[in-house]
Amino acid sequence: MIWLTWRQFRGQALIALAALAALAIFLVILGVRIRDTYDANVTNCAATCSLTSARDVMEDLYFTPLLLTGFLVVLVPAIIGAFWGAPLVAREIETGTHRLVWNQSVTRTRWLAVKLVFVTLAGIATAGALSLLLTWAASPYDKLLAGRFDPLLFPTRNIVPLGYAAFAVTAGIVIGLLIRRTIPAMAITLAVFAALQILVPTVIRPHLRPPVTETVAFTADTTVNEFSAGSDGVNINGYENAVPGSWMLSGRVPLLDATGKQVARGQINDCFKGDFRRDMACVGQMNLHFTVKYQPASRYWTFQWLEFGTYLLLGGLLAGFAIWRIRRGLS
Amino acid sequence: MTPVLRSDGLTKRYGRRAALTEATITIPAGRIVGLVGPNGAGKSTLLNLTAGTIRPTSGTIEVLGARPAASAAQLSKVGFVAQDTPVYSGLSVADHLRLGARLNPRWDATLAHQRIEQVGLDPTQKAGRLSGGQRAQLALTLAAAKRPELMIFDEPVSALDPLARRAFLQSLMEFVAELEVSVILSSHLLGDVERVCDHLVVLAGSRVQLAGDVEDLLEVHKRVIAARGELDALPPGIEIIQADHTARQSTLVVKDTTGMLAQLVPEAGVERLDLEDMVLAYLTRAASVAAGAPVRSYAEQPLEAQR
Repeated sequence: MIWLTWRQFRGQALIALAALAALAIFLVILGVRIRDTYDANVTNCAATCSLTSARDVMEDLYFTPLLLTGFLVVLVPAIIGAFWGAPLVAREIETGTHRLVWNQSVTRTRWLAVKLVFVTLAGIATAGALSLLLTWAASPYDKLLAGRFDPLLFPTRNIVPLGYAAFAVTAGIVIGLLIRRTIPAMAITLAVFAALQILVPTVIRPHLRPPVTETVAFTADTTVNEFSAGSDGVNINGYENAVPGSWMLSGRVPLLDATGKQVARGQINDCFKGDFRRDMACVGQMNLHFTVKYQPASRYWTFQWLEFGTYLLLGGLLAGFAIWRIRRGLS
Repeated sequence: MTPVLRSDGLTKRYGRRAALTEATITIPAGRIVGLVGPNGAGKSTLLNLTAGTIRPTSGTIEVLGARPAASAAQLSKVGFVAQDTPVYSGLSVADHLRLGARLNPRWDATLAHQRIEQVGLDPTQKAGRLSGGQRAQLALTLAAAKRPELMIFDEPVSALDPLARRAFLQSLMEFVAELEVSVILSSHLLGDVERVCDHLVVLAGSRVQLAGDVEDLLEVHKRVIAARGELDALPPGIEIIQADHTARQSTLVVKDTTGMLAQLVPEAGVERLDLEDMVLAYLTRAASVAAGAPVRSYAEQPLEAQR
């Protein structure tokens, strides 16, 4: 049975391997260049360079390539689910070959179990290799910019992509088993995967642990991208580095003075002279603070394991359902 | 000896449509069974239920004494060549033999290679490029080399041209003689069935119309010809299957369970029936019973009586 699985999967596996090899070369080169930049701007010039300018340099050079490669790391499980998972049963039924293979001396439960385990593991391995490479390549960048908890980066590093792959393949298999037509099954698999990739970071992930609410002081080091004066007073936004390494959940929040009242526009208006750094320093001296909601950096691995585990569990349930469904026989 | 197939009230429904209704049949071992009936009569359904590809809605079915496809051991006893003889188009002929060898504990590699050579298949050729006849031969080889006790063929020759059909049936008969297997094959070609089968199951309108050994069936079915009106009242034990009347003469196809038909209707002429006439009589009756259900109409989907 393993022989047949491999024989049918061989072509796809070789294509995947070739693509993976090309990506690996790209990521190794990217990783080496990121390390060179990091060394030049951080390690080898401790006395002369500032972290702020190092961050700017790194972000300028590598933000886009890392973001795009990150998208790829999430896209690969989706593609694997659609191209490996969905046709696994659907194509057999579509071409009628299930009637050939189900009448060899192998129960269809075993037939599906072997194929499912084999292809799911291959999917996990592919996603894992890619994630590992990107995590390695981007590690100096992530360390310097402390942004790996960000919803754009979180799903592209470490172990969560493995969970996505496990889920995507099993979901594809189940959808193919139920729909029994390859192309619609592929489309639905992609749609389900995409829906979860939007739903999870916006609705579920923020609440995996109760967020921390904390009032932080506005100091000279605080950078704020946006001041806006409403009828109630001044609001601020874009203060992500207020708690380094955390995943900031709050958006626009009121800026408060020492008594806890929202600052009125007139109170800080004089600080804004046009020089960003001086303006911030000026506001920072006024003993102001604001209340933020976030998931602290220390929870990063808890969140990684929770999301990985949830997807893996979903994959397990789907696999169980597929086996149960095929045992019951096609109607 | 365990019958190869025993079913009781076997029913398969797809939604509200009945594909097979209350089929209760017993097929003894060692027969070559012809399953005949018009398209949509339930032949494929019965064969797929026998192979275990699908499950019944109600009723029971036992094949060689066990539930179809229940275990690897049960699967190894039944060889199934499905309709349109599906093969993996991306795999070569040799790959298919390797598949058979890996997935069947009783695989007979010598037989498989011999067959492939005999029918002139190139082992390196992709199965997707084979002709219909070649594909059927490959599927037949796969099913036979697993050394089953029962082989099932679902319309094996319907897609083949007359020459390929003849070659395929020839192969099939050779296998049967060589391997001592029971065979169930469905066909709407009565001539083929008559040539190769010694047991008959007639399906029409999702119901079993007639089942039994061909010899026994032909023994009890007769054509009776008499002057019009003479056969209006038949003695008990004689069932009319089909009646044709002209102004002066009646022609009946009857089933005689008394064995004394000639004595009971002395003034009528009694003739032997051939298999084709007998089957057509049952199918005509089934069609007239189902009149009003246009899809099942025998007239719209005639059986081909080819020889």
